[in-house]
Amino acid sequence: MFVLSFLVRRLLQGALIVFIVSLLIFTLLRVVPGDPVRLMAGGMAPEALIEQIAKDMGLRDPIIVQFGRYMSGVVQGDLGQSFVRPANGASTGGANFNDSTRGERAKVLDLILETLPMTLQLAGLAIVIALAFSFLVGIPGGLAPGRWPDRLAFYISSIFVSLPNFWLGIILALLLSVKLGWLPAIGYQGFAYTILPAIVLAVELSPVLIRTLTASMAGIMMEPFVAVGKVRGLSRRRIVFGHALRNASVPLLNLLGIQFSGLLGGVLIVEFIFDYPGLGLLTINAVLQRDFPLIQGIAIVTSAIFVFINIAVDLVATMIDPRLEY
Amino acid sequence: MSVLEAIPAKSVEPESIRGASISRRIWRLAMSSNEFRFGLAICLILLIAAIFYPEWSGIDPTKMNVKDRLIPPLFLQQGWTWAHPLGTDQIGRDMLVRSLVGLRYSFLIGVSTVALMLCVGCSLGMIAGYFGGKIDTVIMRITDAQLSIPMIILAIAVLGVSRPTIPAIILVLGLSSWPTYARVTRSVVMTERKREYVRAAQVMGASNFRIMVRLLAPLILPPIIFVSVLDVARMMIFESILGFIGLGVQPPTPTFGNIIADGRKYLLNAWWIATMPGVFLCVTLTSINLMGAVLERARNRIHGGAS
Amino acid sequence: MTQTSPVLSVRDLSIDLRTGSGKRRVLSDISFDLAPREIVGLIGASGSGKTILSKALVNWIEPPLEIAAGRVEYKSNNILTVASGPMRKLRREIAYVGGDPMGALDPTLPVGYQIVEKLQAVAPEIGTAEARKRVVDLLDAVRIPSAKNRFHEYPSQFSGGMMQRALIVDALVSNPAFLVADNITQPLDVTVAAQVLRLLRELTERFDTAVFFVSSSLPVVSDVASRILVLEEGRIVEQQETTALVQHPKHPYTSELMAQIPKLWAEGAANVPASTGKEVVISVRDVSRSYSVRKRGTFASHNTVRAVRNVTFDVFAGENFGVVGESGCGKSSMMRLLSRLELPDSGQVLCNGDDISRLSGKDLLKFRRNFQLVLQDPFSSLPPRTAIGAILEEPLRTHGVPDRKELRQRALTVMDEVGLPSSLYEELPIGLSAGQRQRINVARAMVLQPKVLIMDETLSSLDQTEQFKLLKLFEKLQAQYGLTYVFISHDLAMVRRVCNRVAVMYLGEIVEIAHNQRLFFDPGHPYTRTLMSAVPTLEERRYHQADYLLEGEPPSPIDLPVGCSFAGRCPNVMDRCLTQSPVLTDRGSKDMAACFLLDEPINRDMRVVA
Repeated sequence: MFVLSFLVRRLLQGALIVFIVSLLIFTLLRVVPGDPVRLMAGGMAPEALIEQIAKDMGLRDPIIVQFGRYMSGVVQGDLGQSFVRPANGASTGGANFNDSTRGERAKVLDLILETLPMTLQLAGLAIVIALAFSFLVGIPGGLAPGRWPDRLAFYISSIFVSLPNFWLGIILALLLSVKLGWLPAIGYQGFAYTILPAIVLAVELSPVLIRTLTASMAGIMMEPFVAVGKVRGLSRRRIVFGHALRNASVPLLNLLGIQFSGLLGGVLIVEFIFDYPGLGLLTINAVLQRDFPLIQGIAIVTSAIFVFINIAVDLVATMIDPRLEY
Repeated sequence: MSVLEAIPAKSVEPESIRGASISRRIWRLAMSSNEFRFGLAICLILLIAAIFYPEWSGIDPTKMNVKDRLIPPLFLQQGWTWAHPLGTDQIGRDMLVRSLVGLRYSFLIGVSTVALMLCVGCSLGMIAGYFGGKIDTVIMRITDAQLSIPMIILAIAVLGVSRPTIPAIILVLGLSSWPTYARVTRSVVMTERKREYVRAAQVMGASNFRIMVRLLAPLILPPIIFVSVLDVARMMIFESILGFIGLGVQPPTPTFGNIIADGRKYLLNAWWIATMPGVFLCVTLTSINLMGAVLERARNRIHGGAS
Repeated sequence: MTQTSPVLSVRDLSIDLRTGSGKRRVLSDISFDLAPREIVGLIGASGSGKTILSKALVNWIEPPLEIAAGRVEYKSNNILTVASGPMRKLRREIAYVGGDPMGALDPTLPVGYQIVEKLQAVAPEIGTAEARKRVVDLLDAVRIPSAKNRFHEYPSQFSGGMMQRALIVDALVSNPAFLVADNITQPLDVTVAAQVLRLLRELTERFDTAVFFVSSSLPVVSDVASRILVLEEGRIVEQQETTALVQHPKHPYTSELMAQIPKLWAEGAANVPASTGKEVVISVRDVSRSYSVRKRGTFASHNTVRAVRNVTFDVFAGENFGVVGESGCGKSSMMRLLSRLELPDSGQVLCNGDDISRLSGKDLLKFRRNFQLVLQDPFSSLPPRTAIGAILEEPLRTHGVPDRKELRQRALTVMDEVGLPSSLYEELPIGLSAGQRQRINVARAMVLQPKVLIMDETLSSLDQTEQFKLLKLFEKLQAQYGLTYVFISHDLAMVRRVCNRVAVMYLGEIVEIAHNQRLFFDPGHPYTRTLMSAVPTLEERRYHQADYLLEGEPPSPIDLPVGCSFAGRCPNVMDRCLTQSPVLTDRGSKDMAACFLLDEPINRDMRVVA
């Protein structure tokens, strides 16, 4: 019952968030200078033709009208069609634009659904690596504030957070793939191609995790119940793993929820560098081609995922710590 | 309480520090750590170099010099020269000067972006936290929405569609990542405004604006600003990412991003073009992050410790 | 004392505190014995080393504290040298309960589960089923209602008193030989504290446990202990049987401690303003205030917490008016209504005849100037990074005094009046003691030269000596400026000493309002008598716990019971109380109480205004 009402409330809030996101990105794309039709039709297309196409596509209607039309589609699960990508695969260049009807263009939802699993696989692996590493470094750091494990955690997180992901990607590809030949890097022909990008993402993700884990672990070890626990006769191992870790995992979970968007940002770049066929690469290409419907679609889908992840995170967090309000 | 009662926590700090304001105490505590001094020293050296070296050396970062092309950095491979400590690229431009000029832009953009984020985020957070209720709900929903779009998608979407100029980059980066500040400020203001001295000021007859600006802002902003040093580094990374995918400051102006993107094409025969600016950027960021992290820890200690 | 060998004997125990500049001795040459089944009390002021001693008894001395010399012998072992492994086994026989019940357990796990965990940690041979049964039985024994369900609840769902009971269970569940109880009643309300003490006495008898009972309050210790040690600055200066100590303290420090204990019924206990005016300065008319709290786990439904219910009273010029009650009784909400930090949902607060909720602009500022508030917490009530002079000048600036010289002059004058040296003008309040901070608070209120000061628990964070000094200051200021005080407090003794009229609040209502003498010698409401039976005192009690202190805690202000809100804990409850709610009834000379035991109300339909 509690869970149900919580879900209803949060889903409604989430819907609102997704709506605001759509509105924001929709307006932004139309307000900023740059005409997508010009790009689609090519520099050589006559002005009249461009106006014609724009009118046909409804791009000259007031923004509100365009947005209303778009949202009514979104509600029915239709994210529209790509401006530039044909349904059959490779993207069309702007130059050879001809009167191809809109029916032949790829559906945005299909494009996203094709690439999403790839990205989820990459992100999932990255989170697993990052968590494992952070626990290994962060817990000893939190248990020994001011001593060497803490310093080690501090240095590692300070250095990792200073590594620009695109540069690290290039370096690791050069070292591990080109020079040493341990891992494949460019493109995707099997699971092994996920490992290197995932490592780069994990390096980007782990500093915050380590820092949070160290800080919250150290904080919880200062709580009265930890000291009293010892006097009550509990062993240190029990206190650390049964109680402290349990308490420390709540801020960590919340962080993971918040970090999701940061992770997606990283995914974007890493996929671009490793030519990994996921959502990130799709996004960059969409932006470079000014494929408005695709950009909007991706923004909506990612914010929806963000909302779901955070609902899940809060649900788990309340299960761990009942003091947190639903 | 009783568990800690026995150990007077305050006496750990020297007497002189006790009387100082919170920000001074944070600063002093941070300054007493080696990591902070180290970071500060490196950062200052790099900044001074970035400010003076390009003009002082007289090397033009954009001038081609085919004769001196593909010179490797010092000591690392045959053919290095003192004239170009970090080597040259495929058309003979000096890597050191290019990196330093890149650092200028990167730092400029990083700092201005963070300043913008602070302004927007802190004022919205302050208003939301102080007034609560409907105002809070509206601001926080916008914040949530903003948080839920990966900022990089937003940034590249806007920059990709419009033209990436420096003000545009600052505006886009700054406006896309204020929500964290809004959240932090809001939560601090919410706890702080329940404190009795705020209540006392209200009873005294102070207006809301007066309480926010005169009482709360000087108290809660410095710790937040200290920690925003970490975001300067983060924004510098974003700036270089934008440059890397071609949406940053446009060539021929050198930035870390476009240098590395360029050098990537010559990775196999001239590996240093892509790696050296990266090392450079990395050292800069590490020094900033060290300072930021020490400040963050100092803040946590001071806030966790005494009043 | 007895012929049996002691459970615990402490010999020449000395403990040092290692500071940056060297070592400081915090406990020196402590020696005493604890016999089986004996309850020994330890009393001392804060900072005397009580807590350190009680920790030493359970081998809980950690850096920067260190043992300098001496032994703590249990079963002829010095437990201070036992390694952590074997020590854990010993914890079955050595138990500890501290003064911070809410922080003592992991907030993310059910209470019962954690007690079972502790039992199995010290006694691994006990199976889970048996351990659970034992814990539930004990929770039942400490009168935690519906113990079986409570077993699965989390610490945050327990009240402070409940939690302290659960922790006593936690301590006694392994059937220990002795128990160290360190300030266990400190955070609790008087009636709850009295219940917990009564329980502790019962249980230790039942379990044959010896108790080392530590407290800063001599009346509390003398209530439970058969023998008392007096600790002054790390030394035991006196130890005697309780009755002997109370009657004939030998050491001057003990006499001093006893002299500081406020008297309730003795001659000269009250020291109230002799004459008060007839002019009404504040008039509270049928005021109510509710807060709505979102119901846990529901979509949009709210619970209504009725914090203040139909409160009516008048405060006259120049008098000291007291509002007493335990936590959650609505006295803080009352304070917020009086000072116009919040507005009432219904009813009016009149100040010199004006409804303060209608004030705005200039009038509001004028009201603020006349009506000041001194807050409870000396630490959070001052802005942490502002110099004292600036703190005092800020209200003047708000009220439009622009001249720098005059600002400074007035700040310095008021500092002088409250006894703050003018050298503090430039200082930050950070290093100051609670007493001095509270003086700054008073000064900040006084600088506007108000007519009414509301004291919200202003003295409760101070020790007796400081309280005494501040009360003197209040007296002086009152004589000088003709101030009216409203004291909001949980401390009956303080109220007895200074207030000429007192309102007793319970669950948001005023249940009794009377002159000082009448309230303490002839209370009209059973709750007032319960409060008086629970106040720790060395005097002969006029109201005994056996007659007036029932088990149970106040019902939640969310689900108010029908009828009299005190019915559930009232020794005189009648059928009528369960269905009807009594109203304030005049008992003559403006003293009133809300109870059916009194004569029929003179006027049932109208609330009588004092």
